[in-house]
Amino acid sequence: MKYLSKPSFLGSAAVLALSAGAAFAQDMPFEVGEGDFQWDGYETFAEQHDLSGQTVEITGPWTGNEKEKVDVVFRYFEEATGANVNYSGSDSFEQDIVISARAGTAPNLAVFPQPGLAADMASQGLLTPLPDDTAEWVAENFSAGDSWVDLSTYEGEDGEEHVYGLFYRVDLKSLVWYSPIAFDEMGYEIPESMEELKELTEQIVDDGGTPWCIGLGSGAATGWPATDWVEDLMLRMHAPEVYDQWVTNEIPFNDPQVVESIDEFGWFIRNDEYVRGGAQAAATTDFRDSPSGLFAVPPTCYLHRQASFIPAFFPDSAELGDNVDFFYFPSYEEKDLGNPVLGAGTLFSITNPSEATNVMLEYLKLPIAHELWMAQDGFLTAHAGVNPEVYATDAQRAMGEILADATTFRFDASDLMPAEIGAGAFWTGMIDYVGGDDAESVAETIQDRWDSIR
Amino acid sequence: MDNIAGHKSSLSLVTNIAVLCLVVIWLIPTVGLLVSSFRDREQISETGWWAAMFPVESAERMRPEPEGVTQDGDYYVLEGNVFEAGSGSVSGFGLTGRDPGAAEVGQTYAWFEVEVTEEDGEIDDERIEIAYPADGEPEFPEATEDGLPITPGSAVLQRSLTVAENGDFSYVNDGEISRAPSLYVITKQPPDFGWQNYRQILTSDGMDRAFINTLTVTVPATVIPILIAAFAAYALAWMDFPGRGWLVAAVVGLLVVPLQLALVPMLTLHNQIGIGQSFLGIWLAHTGFGLPLAVYLLRNYMIGLPRDIIESAKVDGATDFQVFTKIVLPLSFPALASFAIFQFLWTWNDLLVAKVFLPSNSESWVMTVKIADDLLGSRGGDWGILAAAAFVSIAVPLVVFFAMQKYLVRGLLAGSVK
Amino acid sequence: MSPILQGILTIIIGVGGCVGYFYLSNIILDRFVFPARKDDQGRNIARATAVRPWLFLMPAILALGLYLVYPVVGSFLRSLYNRSGDEFIGLGNYVQMFSEHGFRVALFNNFLWVLFVPAAATFFGLLVAQLTDRLRWGSIAKSLIFMPMAISFVGASLIWKFVYAVDPNIGIINAVRDYFGLAAIDPLQIPFWNNFFVMIIMVWMQTGFAMVILSAALRGIPEETIEAAILDGANPFQIFFRIKIPQIAGTIAVVWTTITFLTLKVFDIVYTMTGGNFDTEILPSYMMSYMFRDDGRATAVAFVIMLIVTPVMIYNIRQARKEL
Repeated sequence: MKYLSKPSFLGSAAVLALSAGAAFAQDMPFEVGEGDFQWDGYETFAEQHDLSGQTVEITGPWTGNEKEKVDVVFRYFEEATGANVNYSGSDSFEQDIVISARAGTAPNLAVFPQPGLAADMASQGLLTPLPDDTAEWVAENFSAGDSWVDLSTYEGEDGEEHVYGLFYRVDLKSLVWYSPIAFDEMGYEIPESMEELKELTEQIVDDGGTPWCIGLGSGAATGWPATDWVEDLMLRMHAPEVYDQWVTNEIPFNDPQVVESIDEFGWFIRNDEYVRGGAQAAATTDFRDSPSGLFAVPPTCYLHRQASFIPAFFPDSAELGDNVDFFYFPSYEEKDLGNPVLGAGTLFSITNPSEATNVMLEYLKLPIAHELWMAQDGFLTAHAGVNPEVYATDAQRAMGEILADATTFRFDASDLMPAEIGAGAFWTGMIDYVGGDDAESVAETIQDRWDSIR
Repeated sequence: MDNIAGHKSSLSLVTNIAVLCLVVIWLIPTVGLLVSSFRDREQISETGWWAAMFPVESAERMRPEPEGVTQDGDYYVLEGNVFEAGSGSVSGFGLTGRDPGAAEVGQTYAWFEVEVTEEDGEIDDERIEIAYPADGEPEFPEATEDGLPITPGSAVLQRSLTVAENGDFSYVNDGEISRAPSLYVITKQPPDFGWQNYRQILTSDGMDRAFINTLTVTVPATVIPILIAAFAAYALAWMDFPGRGWLVAAVVGLLVVPLQLALVPMLTLHNQIGIGQSFLGIWLAHTGFGLPLAVYLLRNYMIGLPRDIIESAKVDGATDFQVFTKIVLPLSFPALASFAIFQFLWTWNDLLVAKVFLPSNSESWVMTVKIADDLLGSRGGDWGILAAAAFVSIAVPLVVFFAMQKYLVRGLLAGSVK
Repeated sequence: MSPILQGILTIIIGVGGCVGYFYLSNIILDRFVFPARKDDQGRNIARATAVRPWLFLMPAILALGLYLVYPVVGSFLRSLYNRSGDEFIGLGNYVQMFSEHGFRVALFNNFLWVLFVPAAATFFGLLVAQLTDRLRWGSIAKSLIFMPMAISFVGASLIWKFVYAVDPNIGIINAVRDYFGLAAIDPLQIPFWNNFFVMIIMVWMQTGFAMVILSAALRGIPEETIEAAILDGANPFQIFFRIKIPQIAGTIAVVWTTITFLTLKVFDIVYTMTGGNFDTEILPSYMMSYMFRDDGRATAVAFVIMLIVTPVMIYNIRQARKEL
């Protein structure tokens, strides 16, 4: 059980679905063979597998509205194979799965909200490796496939590395939200590079406006939005390998490259003219409250960097694509690092193998398994083979495109670091930094903390 | 004090004013909360709660649907009313978000394209924005803001907006109006008070569940320690046995043991014996933590009961058990009541014990946890909701407080003054 | 089972169990263990009388022992082990802790709290008690100042957010600054002084407690003493400071120490106001940031709080012993 935990937003992307409405009254809302779905693979799959009488037990973090959606995906599996799928979601999934795995009462499959716990359980021998060809398949079929393979490859109890998970559903963090109406009225263009974004920031100030809305407040988890900023900038300033070393502490937290990224974040946030209310206000403004400046009349800010879940906290007047939209948090033109994307995702792992689990994993490799949730909204995938036409909204489609164009995908570093750092020292350190401490000493404090927990 | 101040009316006046000031200072924060909990969310962000009785002025973007557009020469005209509900009052309007109050009602606000002469003598087109009386003609300046001379008579209307106080508007554009245009108006809205925040918090935000959880924690955690403590207090007050003095001293000592010490060992123990994080666990924990004060308060009270009543009862052959239930317990009612209030307020208001001994899922959140860990985050900027939630959580203690203040004071005095 | 049903059942079982225990144990003691029969009536009654107090005390002693005495030992032992609890590291947690900036800040702030909160609350309490003493509407005034006592720390923090908020349309402080044309500030981010802004909430809540008790104590001062002083020509201030204060010094000490203890335990206010950021951490909230993660460290912090309390606890026990 964690005392501090970054709020989980797996649920909130669903609010994007406001427009999708209550269409799913029936058990199987999409007619097989109709629409933009890729049914071919599904039909072949159905012919190949017969699991009548078997049951697949699955636990995961999706509850409520999301459970309903994933249940639809599973129902098509049941229909195809004759198996029974029993999915149960829990808010305290992360504790429950450890307890049940130790007690030998684990379900067949578990859906992990982040790789850290899966890696941990793999090292204790509580997970079964996926079939050997999975790594190859993911590398070929996912955009930024190698990143996904790395994220799901862990050391097992035997000390050997295997792929232990298949990513299904992704959250996107590298987004900047803005108001097309305000941009239109002021004649601003969407920046294509980080250099342009910084120019735009300065131009907005010249025009008498305030460019950024930044809110780092989040109750006991205050500070985490700043960690996303630093991670995003880290990926844009340095090679992904450096990022990985940072996550595992192979390079110390106070490495000059990390400090440089923190200072780059400082370029945005430590300038009182760039941030609504000044840097000080950013530290206490709640992150859920901060995007409201985009909608104010006159606008109190023009830009807001936040993950794909944030529309859940927009005011009622917000309408995606109309008075609010997003663009990719761009990379530096001068640095040749491609288009990195920061995000998070959930992965399926085998906790108790059976014939049916492997078939289920095969099913999850099919584009249709992804499309079935895409069509219900609130779902992004790294699977490159899906048909983007299926996305329920234009906004989702645009996010999907950003994911598909990604050259590198990296998981939220603070989720991968030990909780003391990623859900503690890193957060408070960022608040200290925003408050005026220098990046060097903040990074040093965090590294000290890291040293102390070894 | 009339011996002192009574003779000096000036001092008495000063006293009155000073007390009044203190009371006002003490009340202001709570009043702010109460007022805010009834206000509309939009209005809260526009004016402070102290201005809640006055109309609120706010700038808004209006997007009237382009229906019923008429053509007037080269221009297209859209007419309508900015208020969907049909009523309201406009005090200013404009065509850009940056300056939503560029013109006053009764004026026309227009964009003209004019010819200007650049410094190097070249002729260029530039846009100027002018507000003029709706029934009058625009007066063009001789130069732009940058000081470039404008060619007289060169102005061509691009777009104009006229808004009346009642919200009737007329929007003129030089091109076809296919999309809903963005118009900006500054409106005055009457104060909006109501139960909407409470309704929301109790129906859709799960505060009802938290309220029930709090109640579920509080009642057993108040009743059980009283019983246990009453017997112990009687033994410590009216029974003779070796070590009594030391036990009383121990209770006094335990009064101040920080309950932080108990968190880790007791949670570990609860987990080992299978109670885990549960309501049963929190009842036991509150019972343990509340006992020292209960025993101490009740013993202090019971020892003050008249000795002859108890002794004569004993002489008559009553057992200790009978003396306790028939005589001491009824006589101790005030002390029992005051401890009950203490324990009730303490368990109702507790955050720490609930965070540690109850599961951390939304089904078992009590109100304090709900507010501190959920609402302050997820509703961080929604002050009306926060205020309503806070008020729901403090309403019951306040009622108890004002209804039973007498006992509370008595208990405090028994507990602290010897 | 729904928690409500469970709660009702617990009350029935708990209350019934308690009553049943006390009743039955008495009967068993009197009828079966030491029955007052003819042959050794006197001896058995004496024996039963010797045992009965312990029957009455048993549940309380058990609960107190389990929830308050055992944890003192248990916490101390746990604090000698590492985070996972499987390795004995002696005073390692303490050594590590004292070398840490965060802990030293928390400790320092805690001393600020212990110095400021009881002093300010007692001062205001005494002030109000004295001022309202003979005021016609004094009891209403007292009741209103006493009221925050009924509010939870969380609720109080929320109430004060409406004072400290940066937005001049929410926070009163910034509204006033705004009125005078000053820029908005965040009181909770002003280094060092932010501690006091947080402490004020505690003072606001505890003043009522101090006032109630001190007001009773002031009334307990014999009229003659004061009248004698007036005859001697003392002015009101002299009477207050030279006569009244010394008379109630004992009560002031009790109020002071009671608030001090409470101050040492409260983590809610810091937790909800700043989350321990901006160098406002105090020991109880610092402890909570380790709770469930590093039990060794958490218990070590708890034990430090215990050590701070101990001297006053010993003093209290001495006083209690003296009175018996």
